[in-house]
Amino acid sequence: MEASAKLAVSGLTKRFGDLEVLRQINTSVGKGEFISIVGPSGCGKTTFLRIVGGLESASGGTVSLDGRVIDGPGRDRGFVFQQDNLLPWRDILSNVGIGSEIAGIRTPEQRALTQHLLELVGLKGFEHYYPRQLSGGMRQRVNLARALAVNPDLLLMDEPFSALDAQTREIMQTELLRIWEEGRKTVLFVTHQIDEAVFLSDRVFVFARRPGRLQEIIDIDLPRPRTLALKRTPEFVALVDRIWKLIEHDVRASVIEENVL
Amino acid sequence: MSINTMERSERQENPRPLRRWASRHGWAFGSVLGGLAIWEIAARGFVNSKLFLASPTQIIAAVGPLWRSGELQMHFYTSALEFILGYGAACILGVALGFLIASSKPCKQALQPWVSGLYATPTVALAPLFILWFGVGIFSKIVVVALLVIFPVIINTETGLRQTPQNLVETVRSFGASRRQIFYMVSLPAALPFIFAGLRLGIGRGLIGVVVAELFGARSGLGQLIQQSAETFNMPALFVGVVVLAVAGIVLTSGFVWLEKRLVPWGQD
Repeated sequence: MEASAKLAVSGLTKRFGDLEVLRQINTSVGKGEFISIVGPSGCGKTTFLRIVGGLESASGGTVSLDGRVIDGPGRDRGFVFQQDNLLPWRDILSNVGIGSEIAGIRTPEQRALTQHLLELVGLKGFEHYYPRQLSGGMRQRVNLARALAVNPDLLLMDEPFSALDAQTREIMQTELLRIWEEGRKTVLFVTHQIDEAVFLSDRVFVFARRPGRLQEIIDIDLPRPRTLALKRTPEFVALVDRIWKLIEHDVRASVIEENVL
Repeated sequence: MSINTMERSERQENPRPLRRWASRHGWAFGSVLGGLAIWEIAARGFVNSKLFLASPTQIIAAVGPLWRSGELQMHFYTSALEFILGYGAACILGVALGFLIASSKPCKQALQPWVSGLYATPTVALAPLFILWFGVGIFSKIVVVALLVIFPVIINTETGLRQTPQNLVETVRSFGASRRQIFYMVSLPAALPFIFAGLRLGIGRGLIGVVVAELFGARSGLGQLIQQSAETFNMPALFVGVVVLAVAGIVLTSGFVWLEKRLVPWGQD
């Protein structure tokens, strides 16, 4: 496990002023693993992802990818944002290609990869549409293709399906697995939905709050490839139940706090 | 796909082009026509004196002699030249100053009081002063036009650049974009709809500048035509000047809206 660690996190802490957002996170992720991170609001899961993405700096400890310490954003990681954040003045093709454009790469291989990804996410034929012409689900596919187009070692996804309706979300989950099966990239996937985390992942990191910390890691030994039917099996339900019990207390506390505020 | 179907169904609702036109513009057309009719009746039936009020038909009749003598073209040419030079200079300078203010804190602090102060001042009242300084030729008018146009352009450019959507900045930053790349890929295109709105606001202000500056003293120009006609109680000729200006304003503004839709289609919604 340690030998093949893609991502190594040691002693990671993060403070915003007096607020301790993350305390002493120690963990590692193997190559090709699909990891989901769940936890109540305010547990620091998004902050954790942003630090790995280099969008936020750590207050203490290190995160290293393939042995190199992360100190900023880079092309070795692809970030899929919660909102699709597509540039409204660019068509779909040039939105997907923005990563390589920033890096100044204009090779035929890159163009072929961009084309292939558009096909993979089911948007072939929409190359010259503008974001405002697409539905929310389609825009999230572009968001995913854009992150994959830099051919990252690590894919970071921050609640990418949270803005979608329940049916679209289920479809997108199976689509994501289908796309992931092709390259088996290492993925960190932050979500509020426990069933989403169990459905997608090899392991689920359960975070607790006040301060944000890694409470427990749950192995998901469900066979792949997975279909939506899996969600109705007793094994699946048991795993969801187990994770829910871990975070229930914290979630209730955070809900009460939000209502008081 | 869904966009095509929407367009088609809209067409099916109103199959006949004339009816579609009527349902879209009928009331506007009727209202304008009605207004002109009331004007005509009032001018001929109640006032009945060309010295006080010219009727629409009398105004149309006045165009002929003004055109044949070449007077109208001359006035139009002068005013158009003043507008184009003043407006053009103000646009270039205004956008440049807007960039400067948005990109540098000291520049912003130094220029902000002048910009806010002069924008609030009715600078058109300074027109007589500029004519005194720069003479009755076109240069004084160009200065007045530029002074009126430049402030909304500066302010809109600066606002547009300041309101860069941070989520988009973060997105390109996650791909390792440099400050320069962030500017060209996000800040600039995001500011374009604001800049265009500033340029559009400038059209109306520029036309006011042309006319008012000419009223205070000019050799030719539409404002001078209006002034001279007022002095000789030639109401039809006065209204010809006003109508030409009104049409120019409408044409320029709607042309600009058309251009905006093509250049910054994302700014519409």
